[in-house]
Amino acid sequence: MYLAINPSDDLPIYRQIMRQIMDAIAGGRLHSGERLTSHRELSEQLVIAPLTVKKAYDELEALGYIESQRGRGTFVSARLPKVTQAVRTAQLKAAAQALLSQAYLAGLEFSDVLKVIKDADRELTDGPAQPQRKAQ
Amino acid sequence: MTTPASVIAFNDVARSYKKDRPVLDGVTFSMQPGEVVALLGRNASGKTTLINLAMGMLFPHRGTVRVFGMNPTAQPVAVKSRIGFVSEDQILPPGMRVEEVFAFHRYLFKSWDRTLEKQLLDRFELSNNTQKIKQLSKGQARQIALICAVCHRPELLILDEPAGGLDPAARREFLETSIQLLNRDGSAILFSSHHMGDVERLGGRAVLLDEGKVRIDSDLDALRENTCLAVILQYAATNLSDIRQLDGCIGARAVTNDWHAIFRGTPVGVHAQLQHAFNISAQCIRIPLEELFVELVGGKQTSGAL
Repeated sequence: MYLAINPSDDLPIYRQIMRQIMDAIAGGRLHSGERLTSHRELSEQLVIAPLTVKKAYDELEALGYIESQRGRGTFVSARLPKVTQAVRTAQLKAAAQALLSQAYLAGLEFSDVLKVIKDADRELTDGPAQPQRKAQ
Repeated sequence: MTTPASVIAFNDVARSYKKDRPVLDGVTFSMQPGEVVALLGRNASGKTTLINLAMGMLFPHRGTVRVFGMNPTAQPVAVKSRIGFVSEDQILPPGMRVEEVFAFHRYLFKSWDRTLEKQLLDRFELSNNTQKIKQLSKGQARQIALICAVCHRPELLILDEPAGGLDPAARREFLETSIQLLNRDGSAILFSSHHMGDVERLGGRAVLLDEGKVRIDSDLDALRENTCLAVILQYAATNLSDIRQLDGCIGARAVTNDWHAIFRGTPVGVHAQLQHAFNISAQCIRIPLEELFVELVGGKQTSGAL
C-alpha cells in the first residue's frame, strides 16, 4: 500500500489517508480481507504522529471500510459497506453545495441555478448524443 | 479514584523582562499525559519564555506554573528528572568529547537506557565518535542533544525550535526519531516550531501565542476543518472593524486591495453569512496551516488602514 501525504494540502493528514485508502478500495487496488499496514509502521513510513494514523483508521472502521482484529492487525472489511440511499443523498448534497458555491461566487441567483439544472437535465435526457439506456 | 494529573498546567501566567512590557500576560493552558502540543507564534511572541517557565528556569510574575503537579522552580530536580529538553540554542560543553557527554548523563540519570542510546548513536552514525562537541556539525550536535534528552525515558519532551537551523534532511531525521519515540513510549511532547509541515506531521494540538496571550488552543485537525479564509473586496462598503465584529471572525487584515478574514465555520456557511451581513459575494476557502498562521498573526502594520 503506497500512500502519499502532503502537509500543505487543504485536507488534514488523517483525511488524506482516509481518502487514499477509500480510493484504493474503490479502485480495486485493495481487496476485502487484505491486511493494512499497522499504525506504527504507517506512522513511521509517512513520518506522521501515530495518533493521526489511528484517527484515520478509526474513522474508516466506523464507516465500515476496514476492521481491526485484536492482535492480528487491520484488514479491509470482508463485506464493504453498501452505499445506502442516505449516503448517496449526502454525496449528492456535497456536490450540490459545490455547485451552489460556484454559482453564488459567479453572482448567480438560486433561480438561475435551477434553470441551469433544468437545461442540463434536458440535454442529458433529450440530447441526440446521449445513448439510449435499456429499461431494466 | 484518581484522575491523571496534568503534565503541564499554566494558570493566568504573566512574565515580563522590562517593566510594563509583558511577554506573557495571562496565559492559561494545560497538557495531559501523552498529548502532543505545538506551540506556535511569531518571533518574540513568548514561546521560549513559556518553555523556560515550564522548565523552572524562570519564575512567573503572576499566576502559577505546575509541571507534574509540582512547582518547577521549587522542585527543580524532581521536575527535570522527568523531562527531556532540546532547544535551538542548546549549549553542550564545547570541549567535551561525545562519549564524555553521555558518561555525564548516565551518571546524572538513574533511568538511563543504554540500549536506546546505542540504537540512536548507530542510527545517527555517531557511534565511536571521538570528536569534541565543538568539532561537530550543527546537525550532529542537535542529534547528540536529542539522545541526551530521551535516553532517560522522560514522560515529557520539550523541544524549543528543535529543527531550527537544520537542513531539510536533518530536520526530517529529527522528526522521524521523535515519531519513533512517540510510538515507543507515548511521551507527552511540547514543541515550538516555525515549520508548519513539521507541526502537521507531529499533529496533536496547536496553541498559538500572540501579544502575550493564547490566541488559539485547538485540536489541529479541528482547526483545519472548521476554519476558512474569506477574501472580501475592499470596495464592498465595509471596514475591518465591521468584519471583526461578525460572529466567528477570529482575525481580519488588509491585503493589497482586499480584506482577508479568518472565520470559524465552513466555506459555504461563511459565504452565506457574509452575503447576509454585507450583501457581498466573498470567496471563502479552506487554507493550509501555514497560511492560517500568516493570516492570524501576520501583517500587523496594515491595521492602520482601519
